[in-house]
Amino acid sequence: MPADPVLRCQDLGVTYAGVRALSGVDLGVAANEVVALLGPSGSGKSTLLHAVAGIVAPSAGEIWLAGHRVADRRSSVPPERRAVGMVFQNFALWPHLCVLDTVAYPMRRAGRSRSAARAAAIELLDRLGIGYVADRRPAELSGGEQQRVGLARALARNARLYLLDEPTAHLDTHLREAFQAEVLARCVDTGAAAVYATHDAAEALRLADRVALIDGGRLVQFASPQTVYAEPVSETAAALTGPGSVLSATVRAAGPDRLGVDLGTGELTVLGGGAVPGAPRPARLLLRPDWVRPDWLGDDGPVPGRVAAVGFRGTHTDYHVDSPAGRVLIQHAGPPMRAVGDPVRWDIHRAWVLGPGDASAEGDDGAGLVQPVVDDVEV
Amino acid sequence: MTVRARLGVGICAVALVAASCSSNPSGSSTSELTLYTCASANVEQAVIKAYEGVHQDTKVNVFRAPTGQLNARVAGDLRSGGLRADVIWACDPLTMHGYDTQGLLADWTPADASGIPAAYRGPRFTGVDVLYMVAAVHNGTAPPAAWADLTKPAYRGAVALPDPTFAASALGTLGYLAAAPGYGLDFYKQLRSNGAKQVNSPDEVLTGVEQGRYRAGITLANTAYAGQKKGSPITIVWPQPGGVAIYAPIGITTRKNRASSAGEFASFVAGPAGQKIMAGAGTYVAMPGMGGPPLPAGRPVAEPDWPKLFGNYKSVLAGYAAVFGN
Amino acid sequence: MAGSRDRLVVAAALLAVVALVGVPLYRLAQTASEGGTGSISRVLHAPGFAGAAWHSLMLALVVPVIAVPLGAATALLLRRPDVPARRLLQVLVLAPLVVPQFVLGYSWTQAYSQAGFTDQLLGVHWAGLTGPVGVVVVLVVDAAPLSYLLTTAGLATRAQPDLERAARASGADGWTTLRTVTLPLLRPVLAAATVLTFVATLETFAVPQVLGAPGGFSTLTTRIYADLSLASDPASFVDAVTLALGLVVVAAVILAPADLVLGPRLRTTRSAQAGGAVRASRRDRRTIGAAALLAGYLLLAVGVPTLALVLASITRAVGVPATPGNWTLDNFRTALDGPTVDSIGHSLQLAVAAACALTLLGAVLAALERRRAGRALGSLVILTFAIPGSTLAVGLLIAYGRWLSGGLFLILLAYLAKLWALAHRTVSGAVDRVPPAEAQAARCSGAGPAAVLRTVWLPALAPALVVAWLLTFVTALHEVTMSSLLYSTGNETLAVAVLNSQQLGEVGTTAALSVVLTLLLVVGALPAWVLLRLLSRRRVGAPRLIAARVAHAR
Repeated sequence: MPADPVLRCQDLGVTYAGVRALSGVDLGVAANEVVALLGPSGSGKSTLLHAVAGIVAPSAGEIWLAGHRVADRRSSVPPERRAVGMVFQNFALWPHLCVLDTVAYPMRRAGRSRSAARAAAIELLDRLGIGYVADRRPAELSGGEQQRVGLARALARNARLYLLDEPTAHLDTHLREAFQAEVLARCVDTGAAAVYATHDAAEALRLADRVALIDGGRLVQFASPQTVYAEPVSETAAALTGPGSVLSATVRAAGPDRLGVDLGTGELTVLGGGAVPGAPRPARLLLRPDWVRPDWLGDDGPVPGRVAAVGFRGTHTDYHVDSPAGRVLIQHAGPPMRAVGDPVRWDIHRAWVLGPGDASAEGDDGAGLVQPVVDDVEV
Repeated sequence: MTVRARLGVGICAVALVAASCSSNPSGSSTSELTLYTCASANVEQAVIKAYEGVHQDTKVNVFRAPTGQLNARVAGDLRSGGLRADVIWACDPLTMHGYDTQGLLADWTPADASGIPAAYRGPRFTGVDVLYMVAAVHNGTAPPAAWADLTKPAYRGAVALPDPTFAASALGTLGYLAAAPGYGLDFYKQLRSNGAKQVNSPDEVLTGVEQGRYRAGITLANTAYAGQKKGSPITIVWPQPGGVAIYAPIGITTRKNRASSAGEFASFVAGPAGQKIMAGAGTYVAMPGMGGPPLPAGRPVAEPDWPKLFGNYKSVLAGYAAVFGN
Repeated sequence: MAGSRDRLVVAAALLAVVALVGVPLYRLAQTASEGGTGSISRVLHAPGFAGAAWHSLMLALVVPVIAVPLGAATALLLRRPDVPARRLLQVLVLAPLVVPQFVLGYSWTQAYSQAGFTDQLLGVHWAGLTGPVGVVVVLVVDAAPLSYLLTTAGLATRAQPDLERAARASGADGWTTLRTVTLPLLRPVLAAATVLTFVATLETFAVPQVLGAPGGFSTLTTRIYADLSLASDPASFVDAVTLALGLVVVAAVILAPADLVLGPRLRTTRSAQAGGAVRASRRDRRTIGAAALLAGYLLLAVGVPTLALVLASITRAVGVPATPGNWTLDNFRTALDGPTVDSIGHSLQLAVAAACALTLLGAVLAALERRRAGRALGSLVILTFAIPGSTLAVGLLIAYGRWLSGGLFLILLAYLAKLWALAHRTVSGAVDRVPPAEAQAARCSGAGPAAVLRTVWLPALAPALVVAWLLTFVTALHEVTMSSLLYSTGNETLAVAVLNSQQLGEVGTTAALSVVLTLLLVVGALPAWVLLRLLSRRRVGAPRLIAARVAHAR
């Protein structure tokens, strides 16, 4: 990482009308890096982006862009003087401007002539594949077109850092990947970085170099996609980063990266780590679906269970299986092989021990299911 | 947010625009005189033009407004550094008396006003022209021989009269009739029970009678004759005991730096030269024999007892309000 | 940095409120207290006070209830492109706005009273015209265009036909859509129209004077005028001021809670997603019926009185038949004689300066109102709107006459103080409907505050700003009471010329002057109206002009 990251937030806090929307956030983004802000609705993702863009002023901490401090508790550089491009969640397109003038707008503000700005805007629109909407107004665009115009407008700033606030929330599924590729390509092109807010775990894991988990206005975890997926710091972090189950089990360390896990059916030795106690002791255990394997044929898997629900997902099928340690989500390729009520035996080859300090685990009956995050659209 | 900051900058810009349209016409070396008046514009302008023709070093500034506005302006002046008029020429004695009791009028009598009737002359103000309250009827209606006739069944629901709280001329008429033998407030009670309508000003009465909305009304002679001359289908009569005379007085003020020409100007208005010009402009002047619009010979004229009315106009109005109040 | 500039604006706005509202009101209160508490009880116990107060309040409550829905319904009807003769109706609806109030009442008398126009022509007259019903009707006719304009501006700022279509698609019929979607979206605008109509009716003088008096219908404002007529006696003057402050109190008591409680709830910031134009649907019988109804209303409320007024202006004397043999231009000659032409210049100058300044002041206030610090300001500036012009003018004279007496600037200040609320409420109703994200997006695109103002706020608010400008311009141009009290030689306004002719009692001249004034306003307002039409169309439709430019750029 270079000496001056593109973005650095230090102990950042934002207060809205007396309510803390964000507190104690430390975040660094390097050039060429794509960082996903992953968190549920209302977790503070947008607030963080707005603070970085300069739309809201921090109540605590500092924001640095490319080695310059742009905001602290006392002063805040206005958005137009920060080299930041932003894509808004609800488009925020101006109803009175046509697409061409919308995209030319940042370049006009940067002092380019009308014709030069328009020519560049046309080029940009063509590159995004929406040159044909240049003379339309927002009211005449589809949702996907509006979002692309919003992206084009942000890209037109030629910024070092792009902030994208749930930019795919309104896009057709088949458009998403192309759109995301464009974002990444743009970053690679110019050496810029991108901070990308989303509540879609799969999207965040696929796109980002690093994922920042935000919940309740706090930065919960900031690490590579692999790490936040496999080694979440808490049950909340686990829930944010993908599907999985949380079971109660007796756990002990069994060598480097090895766990001894007892789900009530005898100890199994599996890959894994986490908050592992020295001596065997009850703990909360995260099992991702890809760490669990059903045993359809032999019926000799070490853990017994019974199918409680079946969901066909196309490429694979979800089985929710009740076991002595709780309900576990098992995914298996292909169409459903078992019906509800059928017995099934299963095995695990990896597990992650969640820390004891997780508030959401307290007072629980000892078992929980981490629900897969669904692609619902925030309106 | 800061969007609004720039909006604020604009306030200053507008202030500049606004300031640039504030012009100040004064600045010449001639002496200036300020007149507050409610006299008709053509009359007041004719007199001023003539006066400025004689005294070329004097410029007369005019504030001309109906009595209510005039009173408000004076009251405003008094509360913001003092009266800014040198001469006041009101439309009725009562208003002038009000200024006098506030100490706004200086002792002054015209230099050459021997021709003005004694009743119009006081220690601090002098009547210079006269309004007459008369009766007008729409053609085809029998004219009243006496004011009392308006209470007869022939005029049931067809008479309009002006509101004395709005028009001093109406107040003068009320003052006179309320004290006149055989009239009093009973006359107004009978008018009311005869279905008479009270409107605001004598002008509204006249318009209503001209149109035929009212068959008869109590209104001012000068406007009525002017309308008749233009062709309005009305007849004007001076009912017994007489058309009520309301004189319009002029006086000079106790303003601190009162223009030295104030007395001279007021005397000009009250003197034969000024009177002649006013008469030529179409008003009934106080000084007889100066010309002016013709009036019927042998007309009866009634003069209210103004000094008495100064003292009791409030109780007269209160009595009237009990009859015609809402 | 942004914060300190912010504070500067708030401070500047506060200063303006103090100067235009606070100081004059304070000086009036001081004047009212000259008589001690005795004057208040004298005013309250004066015969007829209770009746007049009741009449004023009744008018102020009844007129908005009729006028605001009437204006809003007209705006919604004329939004439909399939209305026959839509353009003509759109212009005619505004006609009462350009007719000064003192002329309006008079023109109705000319038209409908006994021996009036219809009586001569058809032998029909309306006896109830001079009385409470007549006063209400004429005030409604006078106030409806305000609500029409505000609604039109609200619709133009953010036309949301998609939301209406969504309601239709959800199973709502036309009326239900109107009730559940269209009107709730217009709530801030309707609230603004109601507040303005309420206060304007509270302080109205000319119509109750002309039409109320013969029916024995007095109001607080006519009492104030009566008190001023007797105000060479200081006690009467204090009474007048006390009564005027009473109107302020009434306005404050009713509006302040409404503003503070209701105001923020009515404000709905929405995203700009919904769009689309109102499309011409099949012209149905109901539309034609409604248009015919509107045309009939306009004929009776505007057409006949205007015709009567024009006839009066060209007839040589009152009471003679308005036949060609009696026609003359003498009235126009008299009206335009003397200082009238100069005074028209002064009035135009004042009206333009006032309209520009007021549009800005109104916009500033509408913006500041969104913040906690500025919330009460909007409720404050309406207070001066509630004072009759004559009294407010005295307040300004007392406050600033020492330095500014006799200049046009004092008149301008009076206009600003009086009409700030009119501009503010007009803009405020539209600001609600601009989503903040649009401004944020501009900032994030490199636009500074000034550029955001120019490129985002101005286009979005243009319809409302134009309406605010028009309203204040028209009102300032035919303002009578304040300028006639504050003018001096060389600074005559149109009002002074008007009062000259009124004082002379020449009905024909007054009518002629009104016709001239109306023509003047039409000439002045027409370009602005055309501009408004263009702006509102631009926001809804989408001209393809850009395509050519794009081709060129390629």
